Amino acid sequence: MMLPTLRRTALAIGVCLPVLLSGGCLRQAPDTVAEPGVLRFWNGFTGPDGATMERIVKRFEKDTGLRVKMQIIPWATYYDKLTLSLAYGGAPDVFICHANRLAEFARYDVMRPVDDLISADEGLDLRDMLPNILAAARYDGKQFGIPLDCHPQGLYYNEKLFREAGLVGPDGRARPPATLAEFLDAARRLTKDTDGDGRPDRWGFAFTWLRTNWITFISQFGGSILNEDLTRSAINQPANVEATRLMADMITRYRIAPKPEGFDSWMGFRQGRVAMAIEGIYMLSSLEEQQGLAYAGAPVPQFGRRMAAWGGSHVMCMPRKLPDDRVRLAWRLIRYLSDNSLDWAEGGQIPIRRSLLKDPRFRAMRVQSAFARELPYVVFEPASHKSTEIMPFYDAAIEASLLGIQSPQQALDEAHRRIGQVMARP
Amino acid sequence: MKAGRIALHLAMTAAAIAFVAPVAWMLVMSFLPESEIFQPVPHWWPEHPTWSNYLELWKRAEEAPVPRWFFNSALVAAVGTSSYLLLSSMAAYAFARLNFPGRDPLFFLILATLVIPGQVTIIPVFLILQRLGWFNTYYALIVQGLSGVFGVFLLRQFFLTIPRELEEAAVMDGCTRAAIYRRIILPIGKPAIATLGIFSFLGSWNDFMLPLIAVNENEMRTLPVGLMIFLGRYTMQYGLVMAAAVVATIPVIIIFLLFQRHIIRGVVLTGLKG
Amino acid sequence: MTQRTEERLTAYAFIAPYLALFIAFLAAPVAYGLYISLHDWHVLGQSRPFVGLANYAALLQDDLFHRALMNTAYFALLTVIPGNAVSLLLALALNARVRGETLFKTLYYLPVVLSVAVTAIIWRWLYSTEFGIINHYLSLLGGPRPAWLNSPALAMPSLAVMSIWWGAGGNMLIYLAGLRGIPDEYYEAARMDGAGALARFRHVTLPLLRPALLFCLVMSLIGSSQVFGQSYILTGGGPHYSTLTVVLYMYQTGFSLYRMGYACAVAYVLFALVLGLTVIQYRLVAGRREDMAA
Repeated sequence: MMLPTLRRTALAIGVCLPVLLSGGCLRQAPDTVAEPGVLRFWNGFTGPDGATMERIVKRFEKDTGLRVKMQIIPWATYYDKLTLSLAYGGAPDVFICHANRLAEFARYDVMRPVDDLISADEGLDLRDMLPNILAAARYDGKQFGIPLDCHPQGLYYNEKLFREAGLVGPDGRARPPATLAEFLDAARRLTKDTDGDGRPDRWGFAFTWLRTNWITFISQFGGSILNEDLTRSAINQPANVEATRLMADMITRYRIAPKPEGFDSWMGFRQGRVAMAIEGIYMLSSLEEQQGLAYAGAPVPQFGRRMAAWGGSHVMCMPRKLPDDRVRLAWRLIRYLSDNSLDWAEGGQIPIRRSLLKDPRFRAMRVQSAFARELPYVVFEPASHKSTEIMPFYDAAIEASLLGIQSPQQALDEAHRRIGQVMARP
Repeated sequence: MKAGRIALHLAMTAAAIAFVAPVAWMLVMSFLPESEIFQPVPHWWPEHPTWSNYLELWKRAEEAPVPRWFFNSALVAAVGTSSYLLLSSMAAYAFARLNFPGRDPLFFLILATLVIPGQVTIIPVFLILQRLGWFNTYYALIVQGLSGVFGVFLLRQFFLTIPRELEEAAVMDGCTRAAIYRRIILPIGKPAIATLGIFSFLGSWNDFMLPLIAVNENEMRTLPVGLMIFLGRYTMQYGLVMAAAVVATIPVIIIFLLFQRHIIRGVVLTGLKG
Repeated sequence: MTQRTEERLTAYAFIAPYLALFIAFLAAPVAYGLYISLHDWHVLGQSRPFVGLANYAALLQDDLFHRALMNTAYFALLTVIPGNAVSLLLALALNARVRGETLFKTLYYLPVVLSVAVTAIIWRWLYSTEFGIINHYLSLLGGPRPAWLNSPALAMPSLAVMSIWWGAGGNMLIYLAGLRGIPDEYYEAARMDGAGALARFRHVTLPLLRPALLFCLVMSLIGSSQVFGQSYILTGGGPHYSTLTVVLYMYQTGFSLYRMGYACAVAYVLFALVLGLTVIQYRLVAGRREDMAA
């Protein structure tokens, strides 16, 4: 017969089901059990970042005699897992949460405020931390964690292409643009059709992560997504329209950037097909591994009326339901990571402590120290508990504007209506 | 007339190419070295065929555990299908042959749920799995499929066509009902059960939505959901992605080729489409 | 123990395991889902207040949901009739008793056994703007190089073509069985009356194939109203909401935003629609029976 006889099928069930039901070897043991003396620490640091963190955590174990079980979950699925663990149990003792995701957890009261721990910890000098970054981890007047770092985006540029295009300073070194006029001029000179098919194959500039690039632009024009007290949509304000139009113009009018469709812009920068890109400091490691690429970093040029650059921050947090003895251990890990955030910075991050920013070791980090100049005016995504919910709407508006599906005004009006509806709900 | 036949044959061949070429191309691409993938002119035949994509799959097993996903898919499909056949055939026998109070209303109730689209229950099922603590376990991947309505319906119809005389004789001989199920109903019902089994296996192997919500640990994924994560992570390594897709496809192709007749007859009998 | 008790006990023992699972994972979730849809139910929420029909009322106002409904209807329009036409054409060709019929049948059916993930992986590459074979051959013919999945106008049709390719073989088999069930004498009789091939198709094939046609059309319609994987994997609902379908919207609301109450309301509206389609099918089939009885 072609199929196993039913007797055999029944036998198979007889064998398999008990194994499964006994929760035996085949059941993935969820990593939820709290072992005494072992801290569970979740983050999304894959790749080189993860290796750096691993090293710091190893040292913490050696220095303190405590054990840390670190679980790296790729960001793509990280928040799903974190949310479910906070809702249904199994949450770790310490977890990383991006500053702009923090409000949602804080509002649902699943995170532990750390104000009492800060004031009880005499060794911690809060004044050493940059106040604007510290504030990004605050919600409703409470501090929900300690920022491990800040990661603003800045201008990466290809030094070799700059030199070839004669974009050099008096010292003969590539000179990054600082104003819109300089930027457009440089980008025009860098955009080239080398194979003569009428389409540029080398671009002066390319948008990489549309959302964060856009936030940099609108912030420079004085715009924002929500109103000041984060209760209503302000996304179709004139400043945002103007900034979005400038971005669209870079594609269609100035023709210095490719349409963001079917083109891997960051890969383009790595391979020298794109001369400038505005990306986060955390992308540094992917440039370091690119052979033969001469890159450098500078603050984002001033496109609008003021300086601004999108940034994020990895905040170290604890779940609400954590017994006191574990809170003390968790705090020791958080303190240790904060104290040693210079090591962390090496992989492509910026510490938020003034003392560390002045450290010669940090100043030797070329790109990091260039981007660190942006820290005073770094802009975070809105710290509303509706952040994740409104994100797809501005994503869609940016995409529609840059692909020419809608005019910036139309796109932002539509986003305004949708975000307005979301904000109107409690 | 002859020209017409030739034209028909040509058209059918063209259609066959359209249906098979994409699958064939997946296979070819999985053997292309990276240098031959991003080419302005697509390579229909590798100049330098290589196993490197498959080896790479093996090497990346830590971040993208394709072998583990394969095991998960196979386990879930095998255990799920065999349990499904056992439970459905038992229930179908009871509904077809045994008299008990409430039989017909109960059967009607079960049948009525056929009109409920699977997606309607996906959120409550997710919450129930969470509450049971089965999230991220094999139970979550298997257990919902076991209560499928279609199998009971189909097998009951089939069992009803079995002549009663056979059983009556057995009852005379002192056989219990359970023995009748085992010795008479199951052997006679084999073709229907086999067909149902093939479709259940294919359905389980290819299922996308339930595994998507029932687990979120990388190690617990089944192939279709794992592949999707894979696609997101290795946008630029298409040879690797295609190799993973081939691995996910080979079992269903083998089953399809082996049991073609069953499948084709099954579609016709039941309107099931794999 | 009497025979009757034995029969009853056996019956209960035989249905008990199935029934337990049926209740736990099918019947109870249906009721539970309805219950959830009447609450403001966030996964992280400490309280889940009862809100009555507020979620349903909000759906009426939610133009993204309307968009999802329209998109789903559009997908159905693009797949149901064209898809069944393809299936029917293939079945008619197979029914002509050509050489290699079994091989052709196998090849046409092959894509049906693929999973949606594999199908999407293959087609994403075929549709690739820069490197896809579709654009390659188009440009050889002097055509443009459209961004199939990145253009709001083309994305849904692209998903539809892929879905037809994926599923046409299933209905084809049903049509083929229907065609084989039509006795040759009918055609002979029509031929005697001097009917041409087209007339024979219209007056003999189509009427006699009506049950199969109805069944396939309605099942395709129900199936396409639940489309999910294609847009979830290939486009994520974009560009610019052009491939956002009802089930995808439900999934995003439930599993990205964790607004379970609202997502369940979406699910129940979908349920009502599918139920409506099923009733229509039942009516049509019943109507046909009356036709035949008359």
